[in-house]
Amino acid sequence: MNFLGYPRPDGSAGIRNYVLVIPWGFLAAKICDLVDGTRTILTADHGSGRTSRDRETIARTLIGLGRNPNVAAVIIHTQGVGAGYPELKPTRLAEEIARSGKRVEILDAVKEGSTLRTLEKGVHLAREMVLEASRIRRQPSDLSNLAIGVKCGHSDTTSGIAGNPVIGNLFDRIIAAGGTAFFGETTEIIGAEHVLAKRGINAEVSRQILEAAARTEAIAKSTGEDIRTVNPVPSNIAGGISSLEEKSLGAIHKSGSAPIQGVLKYGERPGGKGLFFVDNWMSMGSIFPGYAASGAQLVIFQLGGGGMVGNDLLHTSTAVVSPLMWTTANPKTLARAPTSIDFYSGTVIEGKDTIEKAGAKLLKLVLDIASGTMTKVETLRHTDPSQIYLMDPCF
Amino acid sequence: MPAKGALMLSAKDNVATLLEDAAAGTGVLVRLGAETRTVKSRESIPFGFKIALTDIARGASIIKYGETIGIASCDIKQGDMVHVHNLEGGRGRGDLTKGGVR
Repeated sequence: MNFLGYPRPDGSAGIRNYVLVIPWGFLAAKICDLVDGTRTILTADHGSGRTSRDRETIARTLIGLGRNPNVAAVIIHTQGVGAGYPELKPTRLAEEIARSGKRVEILDAVKEGSTLRTLEKGVHLAREMVLEASRIRRQPSDLSNLAIGVKCGHSDTTSGIAGNPVIGNLFDRIIAAGGTAFFGETTEIIGAEHVLAKRGINAEVSRQILEAAARTEAIAKSTGEDIRTVNPVPSNIAGGISSLEEKSLGAIHKSGSAPIQGVLKYGERPGGKGLFFVDNWMSMGSIFPGYAASGAQLVIFQLGGGGMVGNDLLHTSTAVVSPLMWTTANPKTLARAPTSIDFYSGTVIEGKDTIEKAGAKLLKLVLDIASGTMTKVETLRHTDPSQIYLMDPCF
Repeated sequence: MPAKGALMLSAKDNVATLLEDAAAGTGVLVRLGAETRTVKSRESIPFGFKIALTDIARGASIIKYGETIGIASCDIKQGDMVHVHNLEGGRGRGDLTKGGVR
């Protein structure tokens, strides 16, 4: 099975063709306002006052976004190449991104001498890179070149019965074809970690899965709070989910049935292909840029929505360079947000489709989107801010 | 055709998930694969919420997906709605670590 992707120098294939501007200050956003086909990451996580572990996570995220196959070329905006923490030195970011063979330029505000001259240089550079990128043609690319990441959210009981199992079937199909899939949300494997751990490819992976859950539960307990007042979130409870264990046992269905190749840190790139568990946090502002940094060209939000309040316009992609697709199995959610939801799997609950049949339909849509068809929320220019998953106190 | 009745996810389950709103006194058709049984709802239970398939004593496990999703915090009768008012989750409970409830 093929999709039409943009060939990259490292042999990967983009499903989109962006120029990424890694920000220092506000100029990156201004460059992106002026130049079509550009993306930047809107985040307050710049590393100031953060531990070295957290600064490394920020660096890993920025490097990973730059290396994502959806990115044709990268501009790194900086206030002087000598400034800042060692982990976040622009020369380091540039070198690591350039290993993918793509063009990377540092836009140095100190060298340019003024903010407006830096803006002028950045706009010229971005236009030149976008023009170069536009000469790349989509070519048939094997499904093994596709990586996707999923989160389930505003989960209700339709998520565990149909929404997540259909995503799991999609995962199984992509992995059977040699592709890659990411799932995570460590809090939401608590109560189901023993089921997941059986699927590790070896004892070490199984141990890492159990350890991730145990570590997160220990941190939760150390707060002295009843986790039921935090997660399941109020919309889960309003949708019929009664405990974290119930939420977790439904949530893991989105991972399908393939063996789990490894446990990755937030934003970490996998060493191979197949299914990976990412030790991350469920917030959509955080999880999606992490998946994109790990290499996902497409991210999916599997929405329950039974207990959600809101209208038809759902969030746009926080994955910066990777489009977001929305799915739901709840007919009431579909009726409320038809202009945002790309795929409905409630046909399984209605007895019209099996999980297998719905999974085959979903794969067809994913291949269309990978080949250039836009997702519904992708038609909007608005981008929601991203939040890098940091672990330590700040000082 | 709209979904009907309620769904069990494992033969071990003692709760099923409603696929339609059920009024009090309704005979709810519960499906597990090709098998079906009927459980009379003792109260109004909305779409997506759970119905007890048997009596569940206080302190007993509540089973869905064939796994424990929590403990009954009071005696539950067959046909009752099962949710946060009578099911208590046991994981991530910082309040218990600090000598809280129960």
